[in-house]
Amino acid sequence: MIDEITAVWITYNLTERTIEHLWIFSIALIAAIVAGVAIGLFIYRRRRYASPVFSSLNAVETFPDIALLVLLIPLAGIGTVPTIIACVLYSILPIARNTYTGLIFVSPDLLEVGRAMGLSERFILLKVRFPLAFPMIAGGIRIAIVFTMGIVTLGGIFGAGGLGAPLQTGINLIRPDIIFVAGIWVGILAVILDGIAGGIEASLKRRFGSW
Amino acid sequence: MTLKRPFDRIETIDIHGVRKRFGETVAVDGISLDIRGGELLILIGGSGSGKTTTLRMINRLIDPDEGTIAINGIDTQTIDGIVLRKNIGYVIQQIGLFPHMTIRENIGLLPTIEGWSREEIDSRVAELLILVHLPPDQFMDRYPKELSGGQQQRVGLARALVMNPPLLLMDEPFGALDPLLRRQLQDEFIGIKEDIGKTIVFVTHDINEAFRLGDRIAIMHEGQIVQLGTPRDLILNPADKMVSDLVGSDRLFGHIASLTVSDMMVPASPIISGEMEVQSAIGVMVQSGSKIAVVRNRASSFSVLLLSTLLQMRDEVKTVLEATDPPFFLSMDASLLSALEEMKAASVSLGLVMKDGEPAGLLLPDDLITRLV
Repeated sequence: MIDEITAVWITYNLTERTIEHLWIFSIALIAAIVAGVAIGLFIYRRRRYASPVFSSLNAVETFPDIALLVLLIPLAGIGTVPTIIACVLYSILPIARNTYTGLIFVSPDLLEVGRAMGLSERFILLKVRFPLAFPMIAGGIRIAIVFTMGIVTLGGIFGAGGLGAPLQTGINLIRPDIIFVAGIWVGILAVILDGIAGGIEASLKRRFGSW
Repeated sequence: MTLKRPFDRIETIDIHGVRKRFGETVAVDGISLDIRGGELLILIGGSGSGKTTTLRMINRLIDPDEGTIAINGIDTQTIDGIVLRKNIGYVIQQIGLFPHMTIRENIGLLPTIEGWSREEIDSRVAELLILVHLPPDQFMDRYPKELSGGQQQRVGLARALVMNPPLLLMDEPFGALDPLLRRQLQDEFIGIKEDIGKTIVFVTHDINEAFRLGDRIAIMHEGQIVQLGTPRDLILNPADKMVSDLVGSDRLFGHIASLTVSDMMVPASPIISGEMEVQSAIGVMVQSGSKIAVVRNRASSFSVLLLSTLLQMRDEVKTVLEATDPPFFLSMDASLLSALEEMKAASVSLGLVMKDGEPAGLLLPDDLITRLV
């Protein structure tokens, strides 16, 4: 059993594939966090855009991920770039929505006291609203991690590399052992990443939480 | 590190013809009110009476629709809102400590923004924590949720005082505490108030709290001030039924009609000789812990001596007699109410109660009120 796993692992370069996979994953996640927080902040500043922006992001979300990757072929071809784009498109919604909610729903008492102390709106946003929104934002990022992990794997089928590639190979060669090893390994990675994110979220809640 | 101050101390706050409506509701309906520097003014009334709205218009959290509010004669509309609010301490029932900041960071927030050094901030925070009876080394680095409600409210007060603002606005600060703790914090607050000597506007719906803390009380109802006066005025001369119900003249002071002067007088001591040296008289009074002495002069007549007057005049007078005031005599079995009426008519705040030609006690109406409450 162990020998077979090791054989598959070595033959199909699973160590390199894992590094590649995590690399794509990281780029996609960081891009999604930057875009999601920025959009959340933008909507917070311009409330009237909240409903159209969230409707569009929701529409993207309802799209099946394979269909989205296919649709991106004419725009971005196949490979790493469309995969990252798809990851970001899916992950913006939870991050932007939680950022927006976190910024909006700060206890009115804190805002009143902050204003009464003579704090500026900018100061309140940066030093009160944002820190208190951290646990919410982290919750959104955690959802994005799960999305991103799945789509990066799927992107392997469209030539993005990572752990989707050996899965594709396994399917083409009808080799259940490869599918099994690569599939389980992706699953374990996802659980580990989610666990780490959960830990970070919990510690942010302890530190900043009024939730 | 100095803050730009539109005012260093409060001489007056003139609220003139102020009106504020929210949609259809008139929250404050044309009130005028002169707040004096150094006093603790209570705004009291039920919910919807406009007391909190009035308070928030003083630091411009809300701007009035009509009328003006001037501090030391300067219209607050001409002062930048942020500058104004940095000079006015603000304490609310919900406290509003920032949960992600330690006690040190909460109290030191404005000093940090003003660019104080770490040492200056730490020493100021420690000083304030001592003032509100929290040991600094135990509390500095804790987070608000690790503190009890009473402790949080003390920190809230300390935070409001950090820039040493000349004016303090307080909105039911003790309202969420249980009665025992509330009473304890009120007592502590009375002490702190004397230490810090600030002008304070204090909103409450608790008449007992109003009587315990207030120098003057403004009773509000449906956006208007129904009556403004000292606790004594309100109890003895309620403007209408609403006021007498609120101050509970009947309930609390129903028995007042049956009291005589002797029931409520305090002992007249020390009794000193009119020829006593000023220094030794001060010594005797300080030692006895009494701010008022009865002075017996040679003709076996009496007069009263206030420690404060004596201290003021210590260099100008030789014997204590020269610093005394003529007494307002009362007899022991006079009815308390009529005695108070007479004193009010004569505008004296101290009565000397006599029995068989000897001083038997003193009647202090202001102290009386707090004792009755």
